[in-house]
Amino acid sequence: MDRNEIIEKIRHILVAVLKHQNFEMKDEMSAADVAGWDSLTHMIIITEIEKQFAVNFKLKELNKLTNLGTLIELISSKLDQK
Amino acid sequence: MNEYLFRKAMPKDIPFLADVVIAAEKGVSDKLSYSTLFNLSEDQARKFIIAMFEEEIDGCEFSVSSFLLAEYNGEPVAAFGGWIEGFNGEMPSRVLKSNLISYTFGRECIEFLKTKANVMNGLISEREPLALQLEYLFVSKEHRGKKLTDGLIKGLVDEGMILYPSLKKAQIQVFGNNSNAIKVYEKNGFQVASSYKATDAAVLQFLPFDEKFIMEKNF
Repeated sequence: MDRNEIIEKIRHILVAVLKHQNFEMKDEMSAADVAGWDSLTHMIIITEIEKQFAVNFKLKELNKLTNLGTLIELISSKLDQK
Repeated sequence: MNEYLFRKAMPKDIPFLADVVIAAEKGVSDKLSYSTLFNLSEDQARKFIIAMFEEEIDGCEFSVSSFLLAEYNGEPVAAFGGWIEGFNGEMPSRVLKSNLISYTFGRECIEFLKTKANVMNGLISEREPLALQLEYLFVSKEHRGKKLTDGLIKGLVDEGMILYPSLKKAQIQVFGNNSNAIKVYEKNGFQVASSYKATDAAVLQFLPFDEKFIMEKNF
C-alpha cells in the first residue's frame, strides 16, 4: 500500500468517526486541529485504524504520535513488517 | 494529623489506586464509566485500571507518579492525583489516557464505546496546558473529617510549585452533584470557573451526573 492509499484510508476513517470532513490531510495535522477529535473519538480512531489496516500498535508507539505524518509513518512501517 | 504520613504513591500502591479511581469516578452514584461505557463488570474494569497504572506512563490520571497518598499505621487511606498538564512537552493527558485505554481495554470494549460515545456530547472538556490538574480524590470513610484532603491538595500544589515555579493555576473537574467534594474544594480556595453539560439525558445511564464543573484556584 503506498502513502497516498494510506492517507486516503485514514481520511475515510476520520470522516466516518468524526462525521465531518472539515480537515486537510497534511502531515502537520494533529488531533487538536480537528473538530471533534477528543479523548473519546481518539480511542475509536486508533482502534479503527488498527482494525482496517490489520495492525497492532504498541503503547510506546501510540505515545510518540504527534501528527498525521508520524501516524502515516508508523502504519507504513507496520505494513512493511508484514 | 500526627499519625498520618503523606507520601508519593509507589507501584506497590496500584491496587489501592485502582480502588481510588473507582470510588472517585462513581462519586455519589453507583455508575462507573470505565464499566458502563465499555460493557465491563466492575471487576473487569478494575483489572484494566490496574493494567493502565502498570504501564508507568507519566503525566495523566493513570500515572502512579501523579498520586500523593495519606497513610495511617502503614496503610494507604486517602489519595489524590495531580500533574502539570503537558509539562516538558509531554503529550496532552487526554491523549495519554486515551492511548492507555485503547491499548489496555482492547478492541471489543472500544467497539462498544463506539455505540455509546454520542451520550458524552457536551461533556468533554480540554485540560489547560501548564495548569496543575487534580483528579481522583478518595478518603476512606473512617478517615473523613481529618482534613486529609487539605493535606493532599497542599502537598500536590507544593510539589507542583517545586517542579514548575511559574505555576499559576490548579484545576479540578468534578461532577455537579458531588456537593461534598465541591464544598471541600471551595474550602481549599477553588471556585467554579466553568461548566459542561451533556446534551443527551441518556448520559445518566452511564455517568454519575450530566454536568461537570471545572473548579480553579489561582496562585
